[in-house]
Amino acid sequence: MLRPVLALLLLTNGTLADTADGEALKAMSWSQIEDQARGGTVTWFMWGGADNINAYVSTYVADRLKAEYDITLTRVPITDAADIVNLILNEGEAGVTDAGSVDLLWINGENFRSMKQADLAFCGYTGILPNDALINWDNPAIANDFGVPVDGCEVPWNTVQFAFAHDSATLTDPPRDMAGLLAWIQANPGRFTYPAPPDFTGSAFVRHVFIYAAGGPEALLGPFDQAKFDEAATKTWAILNEIEPFLWREGLTYPTSIIQLNELFANGEVAMTFNYDPAQFGIAVDAGTYPDTTRSFGLTDGTLGNTNYTLIPFNAPNKSAAMVAENLLLSGEAQLEKAKTEVWGASPAIDVSRTSEDTQAGFVEIVGHPSVVPAAELAKAALPELQADWLTAIEKGWLENVGN
Amino acid sequence: MRGRGSRGLAGLALGLFMVLPVLPLVIWSFAHGWRFPSLWPEDVSLDGWAIALSDRAGVLQSFGLTALIAAATTLIALLIGLPAGRALGLYRFRGKGLVALLLVAPAVLPGIAVVFGLHGIFLRLGLTGTIAGVILAHLVPVLPYVTLVLAAVFSRFDPAFEDQARSLGATPLQCLTRVTLPAIWPGLLTAALFAFLVSWSQYLLTLAIGGGRVQTLPLLLFSSASAGRNDVTAAIALLYILPGLLVLIITARQITGRGAALTGGIGS
Repeated sequence: MLRPVLALLLLTNGTLADTADGEALKAMSWSQIEDQARGGTVTWFMWGGADNINAYVSTYVADRLKAEYDITLTRVPITDAADIVNLILNEGEAGVTDAGSVDLLWINGENFRSMKQADLAFCGYTGILPNDALINWDNPAIANDFGVPVDGCEVPWNTVQFAFAHDSATLTDPPRDMAGLLAWIQANPGRFTYPAPPDFTGSAFVRHVFIYAAGGPEALLGPFDQAKFDEAATKTWAILNEIEPFLWREGLTYPTSIIQLNELFANGEVAMTFNYDPAQFGIAVDAGTYPDTTRSFGLTDGTLGNTNYTLIPFNAPNKSAAMVAENLLLSGEAQLEKAKTEVWGASPAIDVSRTSEDTQAGFVEIVGHPSVVPAAELAKAALPELQADWLTAIEKGWLENVGN
Repeated sequence: MRGRGSRGLAGLALGLFMVLPVLPLVIWSFAHGWRFPSLWPEDVSLDGWAIALSDRAGVLQSFGLTALIAAATTLIALLIGLPAGRALGLYRFRGKGLVALLLVAPAVLPGIAVVFGLHGIFLRLGLTGTIAGVILAHLVPVLPYVTLVLAAVFSRFDPAFEDQARSLGATPLQCLTRVTLPAIWPGLLTAALFAFLVSWSQYLLTLAIGGGRVQTLPLLLFSSASAGRNDVTAAIALLYILPGLLVLIITARQITGRGAALTGGIGS
């Protein structure tokens, strides 16, 4: 009598216990996945450079996972997701297929392309997440990560749009478009610079100039085109070389990272800085790094926007718990919490109109940080990101033609 | 009298040399808004320390972990380095030069070259991402220092003292604790000090072998520095130099003290 029951129990336990088997997970219902995830752990590798983001993940997200699913979230702070891509690549080469060190990774752009190309991502599961319904996959800016189709290999977490910051006490009326900015740089020698690509943010600034030189983004969308690239690139290098003598330290040297540019701005050496996540300006003001009079703005010809995602590697040992975590991150409540100015100020990656009335009301109530330009205002002039091949070509061209 | 005066002056100079670079760190750790060209911060705040010491920052756990790893590395390195140093210092044997060369190799080779090969090996052994793996990896740069320091100590050690003690009826253990250890004590402390500090300051090895999961203090410090919060970074940096300072103060007297005559110029 007992024996068959026990055998059955062992059998089901055997299949249920393997939380690394992605294919088996995809055949399960959501409640089965939740059951399997219960009591598990999630090791989340994410950029750890902002205390408020760390706090949101380690308290709000971790507490909810613990309370609702008894899942323990371990946040591993990293400086560059590219290192982790290499780590997973090494694990794959060493034959570690179900006991990798990473369950969840905060990622986008070139790193996502590397993961997808090398088949290092767990794919085709996003539709199982109940909160997938909140994502507007018809939006090309969500369905494509820097032009690379997401194809169910990652889940959107935040959307960001590039913005510039200035100290309104010393610079009351900053230029509002690219032509104006370039003229302003020449009229104010030594007061502007940008981090040398391949710095993520510096590279994005150069892309703004590139799109401006190409007369708009339309011609640059889609796969890499050498002829179009050459035409726009020639103009871009001419513009950047023309402003070079008017940059900080006469353009003899460039900051190597956005951190350096931020430091120059904080100390008033340059009049402007910029960031792909404008919420960072408010955070820096609250931390006392930037003056309270810091204000931010977009350009009337548009600024680049992107979406960042969370990804489960192919060899994640705790895929079911990672999926539960992703689903929680997508929920209206979690997206609202991190959108609050005092928490993080991050723009949602979900379609807010699909959330509950309470959540929608919560989003309306949010009062922005005075130093952070509202996402809605930036969205009035948005530029789509170029595909990763363009990015690498522009970075390489900058090094050969401008940064030499 | 004159000797003492110049000594005091040298001590003062040395003290200033060590303290001055730390001063801005202390100010930074309490600063809220310290921008050029202000000589002093706009405001004093405990934010930096509050964040650095908060639970979620993980600095304190990291501090304990780093100390544990450095202590374990030191202990293992001494256990291996003691016999190795004795053999190198006291005896002549075939291939001694080669052995010495192999021992120094990890200290001479650029760390980044060692790290990549090591990472592959550790991955296959399943040691990546574990504390044990990190301790093992730290032994690579630590062992050369320990062995070479102890070899220098033993080259000035006369084993006849041990023979005399034994012939007077001392047990091997008594011989070790009453004769050998007291004689090499300052050198042993120097080696331990080196081992602890070399392990304490490892960044690249820990990052590669620990795979980000073994969060030692240098890793946290670097990640904080690249986040641009100078107050938090300064607070962590001050915590980071604490053990080095403590170890130095505690052992300085021992190293320069009475046993020095026996060992003479260490490492020379």
